[in-house]
Amino acid sequence: MLKLYFLLFYEFFKIGIFAVGGGYAALPFLYYIQEKYNWFSLDELTNMIAVSNVTPGPIGINMATYTGYTTLGIIGSVISTAAVVSVPFIIAVIFMKLLSKYKSCNFINDIFNGLRPASCALLTSIAIKLIYTTLSEQNSTVHFPLKFDNLAIILFIILIIPFSFMRKNPLLVILFGAIGGIILKPLF
Amino acid sequence: MKISLLGIFKIFCLIGIQLLGGGYVILPLLKKYLVEERNWLSENELIDYFAMSQCIPGIIAGNISVCCGYKLRKIWGALMAILGIITPSFIAIIIIANIINSILNCEIIQNAFWGIRISVIVLVLITVRDMWNNSVNSGFTYFIYFVSLGLLLLLPVSPALIIIISAVSALLYSKFRGRDNA
Repeated sequence: MLKLYFLLFYEFFKIGIFAVGGGYAALPFLYYIQEKYNWFSLDELTNMIAVSNVTPGPIGINMATYTGYTTLGIIGSVISTAAVVSVPFIIAVIFMKLLSKYKSCNFINDIFNGLRPASCALLTSIAIKLIYTTLSEQNSTVHFPLKFDNLAIILFIILIIPFSFMRKNPLLVILFGAIGGIILKPLF
Repeated sequence: MKISLLGIFKIFCLIGIQLLGGGYVILPLLKKYLVEERNWLSENELIDYFAMSQCIPGIIAGNISVCCGYKLRKIWGALMAILGIITPSFIAIIIIANIINSILNCEIIQNAFWGIRISVIVLVLITVRDMWNNSVNSGFTYFIYFVSLGLLLLLPVSPALIIIISAVSALLYSKFRGRDNA
């Protein structure tokens, strides 16, 4: 049991260190946790991401709280939330102490020049995985021939076309997805 | 006049409640509450902190709160700011986690969540597009992107490993390039 608490802290601590570039950067790590430990199902994780989008607060922290809570209850949620903010907290405080001395951070910028595309690649691999698992009727392993859920593909196309031309607006995308689900699903 | 710690906590709670859908939303909120209404920070300071938060791992909204809190009351201010920003979402998530399973028994909600799962793919793809536009813009960044993606699709590598490798290669790359210029 104690080991489980430690693992929870360790995994979310890693998200705090390595998730670069906003809340969605935590997604690849959450999928990794799902595959490795099976603390929650793939559907639960996707529901969790949807819920995080429509509740107040930073998405990355929301997801940490939710995952911790569903895995180990209230103590779990405190542990995972603390783990995810602890490293950035310490680094931010150190940065603030040094700010008067070093105005620019060239060294950090150089590193981020490589981190951002890597983070983007991580999220791309998650997008591919999500397209596969959500739009087909299978789980994460690839089976041929591919069987696709036609209804899901129709809704995907309806959503992606207008929103790919717009600025990111999570609330609107989720709202339209929910309405689309309520209308389309009973028709078929 | 010294700003009270409780005051910092309250303001960041208020900002946390209004923080819907991602990190960048926090900037106008901080500007409104800290710069315009209370004059605790100058606008230039806020812009500096925003740039800095993007140079720190972790969640941008959390990072920028820590920076602002630190400016107001050093380490305790930073602690109050991060606690304030977390508390509303923490409570909201715990409540939702408790009721979500009973809600999901209803068929209409199930259908809605089926649609929302497809929305999540769309959101992830839009985020990939935005990240791509902001980060993949040179030969080196193309290289990092496609090598990372190739590794991820072909081998069972952990995301942390990809981040470490790319950080090291970015550092080596900037060292070599720097020497060329000099």
